[in-house]
Amino acid sequence: MKYIVILIIVLILVALGRALIAMLRGGADNSEKMFKSLATRVALSIFLFLLVMFAGYMGWIEPNTNLPIR
Amino acid sequence: MSSKDSYYVPHGTYWPIIGSIGIATMFVGMANMFHGVSWGGSVTALGLGIVLFMMFGWLGQVVNESVNGLYNSQVDRSFRWGMSWFIFSEVMFFAAFFGALFYAREFAIPWLSGEGNNQFTPDLWNGFVQTWPEIAFKTPAAELRNGTALSVPTELIDTWGLPALNTAILLLSGVTLTFAHHALRAGERNKIIGWLVATIALGVAFLGFQIAEYGHAYDIGLKLNSGIYGSTFFMLTGFHGFHVTVGALMLIVILYRVQKGHFSKENHFGFEGVAWYWHFVDVVWLGLFVFVYWI
Repeated sequence: MKYIVILIIVLILVALGRALIAMLRGGADNSEKMFKSLATRVALSIFLFLLVMFAGYMGWIEPNTNLPIR
Repeated sequence: MSSKDSYYVPHGTYWPIIGSIGIATMFVGMANMFHGVSWGGSVTALGLGIVLFMMFGWLGQVVNESVNGLYNSQVDRSFRWGMSWFIFSEVMFFAAFFGALFYAREFAIPWLSGEGNNQFTPDLWNGFVQTWPEIAFKTPAAELRNGTALSVPTELIDTWGLPALNTAILLLSGVTLTFAHHALRAGERNKIIGWLVATIALGVAFLGFQIAEYGHAYDIGLKLNSGIYGSTFFMLTGFHGFHVTVGALMLIVILYRVQKGHFSKENHFGFEGVAWYWHFVDVVWLGLFVFVYWI
């Protein structure tokens, strides 16, 4: 599960990076590309959030915020 | 001032020296404030005021020149490069704090508990037991620190509570900003304004909940000195909150500029830069939510 989450984070970073490169290049085509990349990053982020919450609900992952017991 | 087609030569300006004076004043004030000098605080505030005056004046002048059509494509490229270097510095800034969290969890704490080939590390902290979050200091080391008591939290912030709600709020702001971006590309000004206002409102709501969460954290004893967990938690969330504040201010400026009709369907780099920044801050939070609160 951990690796799936990290993989989606990497995909989000790739989408964000593509948007950045398109913004850096400028022009009408790249403006379109930037918009699409940012929309992809939003969709991926929402998917990741729902996935993490679902995985937590199902008990596949545990939150870090349970106090360790000594 | 250059014409549109020739090599751009900027005119003389006094803003850089005003900025330098502001920053110097701010640091002199700050250094003295930390040494408990009475006038430190007011000089810091004065310096900050000068810096804000410089930013307002300088950026305002750039906006005016841009609106009046004084810039050519060369200037446009230089703006894009400038934004890119700024973004690079921001990415490295957050990479340092995420890196610190990763190093502490994956290397430093296991080594302290005697893992790996560092045979001497068990002697650094005898009886150290590896846990994460590393906040329970029922070990002699807490007393070793010359009476500097570390704040031991009685509980931790519940991931399912405010952190999850705030993640949803920030992700939603990414959606509303995307709608604003789409409206801008379609040339629908009223829609842009509506979605931008929604984005700013969500950002402000996020900040309000963060303040509430910090209040709760202090109540349960989770502080900056609650071990490596407390330090990384507050450095990451604190600087992130600061970036949301800056991003919201930038969006307010963009909202003002949209109302003034500064952007066209084809030419709206100011909007693109700020939109990207907001998406970036959003992704930083998502990373924070996943790595600090979950895995």
